[in-house]
Amino acid sequence: MDLAFSKEDNDFREEVRTWMTENAPRERRPRDLVAMREFDLAWQRKQYAAGWAGIGWPEQFGGRELPLTQQLIWYEEYARTSLPPIDARFVGLAHAGPTLMVRATPEHQAFHLPKILAGEVVWCQGFSEPEAGSDLASLKTKAIVDGDHLVVTGQKIWTSFGPVADYQELLVRTDFDVPKHKGITWVICDMKSPGIEARAIKTIEGGQEFAEVFYDEVRIPISNVVGGINNGWSVAMSTLSFERGTAFTVSQVQLSTSVERLIEMAKSRKSVNGRPVIEDEALAKKLARARADVAALRSLTYLNISRNARADQPGPEGSMLKLQDADLTKRVFKLALEVLGTRSLANPHEEDDSYWVDRHLLSYSSSIGGGTSEIQRNIIAERVLGLPR
Amino acid sequence: MDLTTSPEQDEIISSSAAFLRDRLPITRIRALFDESSNVDDAAWSGAAELGWFVLGLPEANGGVGFGLADEVHLFREIGRGLATGPFLSTVLAARVAAFGGHAALAEAIGGGQRVGIVIPGSSTLIGADGSLTGPLQLLDCEADGLALAVSPEQAVLVRVSDLTGVTPVACIDPGVRLCRADASGVAPIARVTADVDPVQRRGHVLAAAMLVGINEAVRDLSAEHAKSRVQFDKPIGVNQAIKHPCADMAVRAQLGYAQSIFAAVANDEGREDADYHAISAHLAAGEYADLSAAATVQIMGGMGFTFEHDAHLYCKRAFVLGQLFGGTSTQLGRLLDLPSAR
Repeated sequence: MDLAFSKEDNDFREEVRTWMTENAPRERRPRDLVAMREFDLAWQRKQYAAGWAGIGWPEQFGGRELPLTQQLIWYEEYARTSLPPIDARFVGLAHAGPTLMVRATPEHQAFHLPKILAGEVVWCQGFSEPEAGSDLASLKTKAIVDGDHLVVTGQKIWTSFGPVADYQELLVRTDFDVPKHKGITWVICDMKSPGIEARAIKTIEGGQEFAEVFYDEVRIPISNVVGGINNGWSVAMSTLSFERGTAFTVSQVQLSTSVERLIEMAKSRKSVNGRPVIEDEALAKKLARARADVAALRSLTYLNISRNARADQPGPEGSMLKLQDADLTKRVFKLALEVLGTRSLANPHEEDDSYWVDRHLLSYSSSIGGGTSEIQRNIIAERVLGLPR
Repeated sequence: MDLTTSPEQDEIISSSAAFLRDRLPITRIRALFDESSNVDDAAWSGAAELGWFVLGLPEANGGVGFGLADEVHLFREIGRGLATGPFLSTVLAARVAAFGGHAALAEAIGGGQRVGIVIPGSSTLIGADGSLTGPLQLLDCEADGLALAVSPEQAVLVRVSDLTGVTPVACIDPGVRLCRADASGVAPIARVTADVDPVQRRGHVLAAAMLVGINEAVRDLSAEHAKSRVQFDKPIGVNQAIKHPCADMAVRAQLGYAQSIFAAVANDEGREDADYHAISAHLAAGEYADLSAAATVQIMGGMGFTFEHDAHLYCKRAFVLGQLFGGTSTQLGRLLDLPSAR
């Protein structure tokens, strides 16, 4: 066991740190969706031009194919910027792209993957539906084969960046007469197709990334189907083996930075009673507890990455990271409001304190998005402990 | 960077687990509850023969020369097995003797001489000269034996016979022997400062390792019960109200384990944030074991509330381990005062 990085890895860290310092966007990320898309894509283009695009992608698809420890280092350095862990590039780089790599035809790969890497396109996800959330396989958006096209009618929801996306990884039901997992098809949907309407859903912190997407007889070429008709479930699950433990690194490092900033704030600010916030013993203990818990989460990240570097298939431990990251995110940003005290009442976006209010409100999504914490607990109980379904 | 176990560590895990299973099974540990000593002499000697008490001591000091990260794996098994006896304080005492310049004593401790530990009270002091003063409690100490007293700055060994008013009292944990005592300027027979050997830091990490073992043990007990206990014609584990607490135990066990080995390696590599990670490990693993053990009592239902079932033994041991090296409240304060981790 060792925690030391090799000289090569340390040199790599220096290189990344220098590059990030000189190149990471310093201006505030816009809140307007179209401007946000441009901001995120410009950032991707900058990374691409400097040879940093797709650090975990295989070289054959234009990626850097860095070893896991260097991916970890990249994300740790990335986290030193104040950029969000997930942005408009996420679905393309971390989900749709990797899916295309393992399941799509060379033609689709050659067309789409370079565009994702080069920051030319935004992808969104069309999985969840109003009646298919955690029970994703019960989705009902219908696709009928009409010649060489699928004709899609239905509705998707929780589609981040839907209104400004170019493409969508879309799950549709192509067979209603077989068990639910067996009648699903994964298809590339051009978001500019006639019959698509994406309506923004405003979220509790005032954000507008979310959308519901309506499909009214949308015609999609059958050649856009990936993995074959009715094989969509296995295609959708194929990225599970791509994620090898680095997914929550940025979030977890930023959480640690947040705890340290909160401790500084608690020392320098005064409570309504006129005494430094840190003298509130109950609050001080919560901050210390947060330090210990954040340290443990970081250690688990390191342990997971160590194990995954040696395993062919990542284990179900990834669910543990997601679960703890969500719980701790909620706890830390709630704690931020305690440190702010009555100042947390105001939510003007231009003030620094509003960052904490924003992050607190956003944190409610951490245990819902990307698979709820309840589903993560089911996965851990069933796959790690062998409990009955 | 690699936190996977080495073949040597895998060997420590399997051999110590086998030893505890054969020589100190839970039936034997329960039998010891009613005896005057909580130590099984034969098993203790066997552990000494295996080098358990000097595993992490350098070879130059007569030890096996392994790291704290290797000792973590031994203590995780000791915690899991609810092994009774002063394993933790004896291992730390061997270091105080060795680094304090008492090679013969270190050898005796390595060979099986037991050393208990002082639980300081609010007014207990270890002076600059290492002298011990104030009312205190003793864990697993023998009247003619030695006791280890530790602060963040130093660690000392004192003779129990130099203390006054040594009075046995029942401990919350039936596997632990507790005494109250007084010290008035008791001179140490061995002393080491933290800059020479960070005894308390190592204590934090090994206590954390034992708490991880406890967390893993209750996780497995709960999962087994959730699979086999049938109510309403189904195993109770199909219910999320049972399933989810079990999942939380699994997560806490992994987190506690990860932080314990991280802290141990940070110590072994001489990182400047080693204390930060050691205290974090003790605090985190302590809270996690506490929560998991309590949830296990609940999952076991009425059986979990009986003395016959082991669930309460894990709760009680976790509580005792949390009180070591200042207790939770003091540790939280210390952690907050330290500079940020690297």
